[in-house]
Amino acid sequence: MPYIARRIAAMIPALLGVIVCIFLITRVLPGDPARTFAGEQAAPSVVEQVRREMGLDRPIWEQFFRYVGDLLRGDLGFSWHTGRTVVEEFATRLPATIELSLAALVLALLIGVPIGIISATRRDRPIDHVSRVLSLVGASMPLFWLGLMVIYLFYGQLGWQPAPLGRIDSGLNPPTSITGLYVVDSLLTGDLAALRSSLAHLIWPAMVLATGSTAIIARMTRSAMLEVIDQDYIRTARSKGLPPLTVIGKHALKNAAPVTMTVVGLQFGQLLGGAVITETIFTWPGLGSYVTDAVLATDYAPVQAFTLLAAVVYLVVNLLVDLFNGVLDPRTTHA
Amino acid sequence: MKRQAVTLALGSALVLSACGANANSDDGGAAGGEEATDTLTVAYSEGGTTLDPAIASDVTSDTFVLAAYDQLVTYARTEVDGQYEADTSQIEPMLAESWDVSEGDTRYTFHLREGVTFQDGSDLTAEDVDATFDYIASSSNAAFLYGMAGIEDVQALDEYTVQIDLTAPNHLFLQILPMYSFSIINMDLVEENGGTDWLAANTAGSGPYTVDSWDPASEAVLTRNDDYWGEAPALRQVTMKFIGEASNRVQLLQNGEVDVALEVPPKDVESLAAVDGVTIDSRASNKILYFGMNTAIEPFDDPLVRQAISYAIPYENLISDVMMGQASPMTSSVASSTPGWTDAGYEYSHDLDTARELLAEAGYPDGFEFDFTLGSGFQDWADDAVLIQAELAEIGVTMNIENMARPQFLDALATGEVQSYISRWTSFVNDPGYHLGLLLTAEGTSNYVNYDNDEVNALWEQAATEPDADVRADLYGQMQEIITTEAPWAYLYEYNIVVAHRDGVEGYTSYPDGIIRFFQMSRS
Repeated sequence: MPYIARRIAAMIPALLGVIVCIFLITRVLPGDPARTFAGEQAAPSVVEQVRREMGLDRPIWEQFFRYVGDLLRGDLGFSWHTGRTVVEEFATRLPATIELSLAALVLALLIGVPIGIISATRRDRPIDHVSRVLSLVGASMPLFWLGLMVIYLFYGQLGWQPAPLGRIDSGLNPPTSITGLYVVDSLLTGDLAALRSSLAHLIWPAMVLATGSTAIIARMTRSAMLEVIDQDYIRTARSKGLPPLTVIGKHALKNAAPVTMTVVGLQFGQLLGGAVITETIFTWPGLGSYVTDAVLATDYAPVQAFTLLAAVVYLVVNLLVDLFNGVLDPRTTHA
Repeated sequence: MKRQAVTLALGSALVLSACGANANSDDGGAAGGEEATDTLTVAYSEGGTTLDPAIASDVTSDTFVLAAYDQLVTYARTEVDGQYEADTSQIEPMLAESWDVSEGDTRYTFHLREGVTFQDGSDLTAEDVDATFDYIASSSNAAFLYGMAGIEDVQALDEYTVQIDLTAPNHLFLQILPMYSFSIINMDLVEENGGTDWLAANTAGSGPYTVDSWDPASEAVLTRNDDYWGEAPALRQVTMKFIGEASNRVQLLQNGEVDVALEVPPKDVESLAAVDGVTIDSRASNKILYFGMNTAIEPFDDPLVRQAISYAIPYENLISDVMMGQASPMTSSVASSTPGWTDAGYEYSHDLDTARELLAEAGYPDGFEFDFTLGSGFQDWADDAVLIQAELAEIGVTMNIENMARPQFLDALATGEVQSYISRWTSFVNDPGYHLGLLLTAEGTSNYVNYDNDEVNALWEQAATEPDADVRADLYGQMQEIITTEAPWAYLYEYNIVVAHRDGVEGYTSYPDGIIRFFQMSRS
């Protein structure tokens, strides 16, 4: 218990640091949001009026305290480039991003961990070399390029992929909203048509987004497994005559898992960042495409809110990972 | 224990789903297999920022406004070689059936069409016009156009008569009224909903379409207003898809997922034209691209140097290699499709010998070095800059290219301290007075090259209040000749607007503002 409390307390200064940093970075960057918002052909007097309306004529410290005050009241600000509040925008878009990131994470685990195990157990055999080369390629493939290639090949040429337009066929209604995740909601409501369509829409961007993480998880699982496999207790287990699957699954994997889980926690941050790019390419109506637009339009509030959200998610996920590792290996909680 | 709980949860979910209807349980619903001829899907690059007519300033937002609202008057539409285009020199009735102009050209009296209703069913009257103009005058974005139109006072004389007084005769007035910014708004409805902020995400117009849904990150759906006062639009429903990636727009059009794709990259035009069932509509526009040289910074304060640069630019390569032929030569500071355009004084061509002579005459026989600022966001600008840099190197001139992100670039231009740059311009009011007034007179707010020629300034002042169109054209012609000779800009090219659509999509009309009016379109 004190361990969890300590960890949660440690998040507060981290979050404060993040708040100060993102505020300063967005303000210090060149580019005048008032000018962008008023339009290229706007007169200086118009730009001046817009700047006043946006509160940008105030001293920077005043803007900062307003921002923090609004944050404490749960107000994430107003998005100038869409004319709605950031909270409204996030409410409609966050589920799409979560669904995509979670699907990518699940895929990365389902593919990465077995590859890592197989590689480790067949060390220096052909399959190990192949998987090592593949994970090198996967880890270094630019998401942007990969996404375009997938669309070109699987949608444009082969026709396996539905049109990269949103989360579900335009002829279908989204499933009745329960969690906001289309695949889960359509399962819960037994909506088979929506399930089929939303899965078909989800799988391609999720695979693209998962590529980098899959490769890294595979590599880390492999090296963690290799370390464990050489330990004495594995040799003992083997010499006792335990079946190989039990040795690998129960004895080796359990001890290699903390490494993999730590990587997963770190990768989740990567996934959120990658989602921004993937969503833009696949016209996925999540936060990513919205935040990209906001960045290009120097629209401060959504950018700040997204960065803050990403930081919170990152901290929470890594806390969960550490707690999980603590269960697997109680020694870590006493460090 | 745990396993039991999971089974229980799954079981109850299944039971739930078995008794309750889900969102797609009504089989045989709307999504039919056969192609409907009264719907259209259009791929846009951006999702729009507002539905408010007085704030809209990007293509997507303007499209919403022109679909949901009407204006007092509108531009004429003509057919040229089987294609429709706007004739901005002819103003036609819309909400105003007719209008009278007073002696002295400062008072316009508009007679409104009777029986027009807003989409909520209330009558559109002179009071609404008056209230709308008040809002425009006080808005942050459109107030500037209000001033440019020279409007002094708006009065509702009776239920269907509006009188507008101008500060002085102003030929831009009737040119500006058809713009989306001057859409007539149901201000009573706006009041009921708590004020004009409501307009950002809602519409209150009398136009041919209603905006049913709008998500800037994915799509918007527009539905025909069946009570529309004018001719009933052919299309029942228009879906606007927002697809930022140009290659995806092209791909979706090829597969027939969308019927129309906007902003098709020049490099894809040729391959797309070869696809069965796809038609490319590539037309000259009044969107220009120029190479600006800051006349307040040495050595560009010398017209000879600027002329030398104008002789060193590989004009033909820019059009054929960078734009793949989807552009045409620009030979004046005004686009060639703008009424009053003239290429008088234009003698430039890609001629390095002349360029060297001019440099020597200006006192730079060995060339010089200067800074060029390249704004991000447009691939053709970057390609142009590199080609121009190479040619300038041939005459001993070193061009240092500095890259800048777009918001930063716009900021830098506004300071008037950028030595040279490339930028595009589209004058939404297709008139040389509007265009040159903003860009190349001393008071112009977008005169980033600090061009200040007394004669040009005086001609512009004179033309602004000149009621006779021919005399005005002559004055604007003189301005263009002086500017072309003095060369504060090198003229790069005029963009084509490229729209690709499936066969059978008809009625597309090109306007100077580049905005599609859906009520003009149909499918066969």
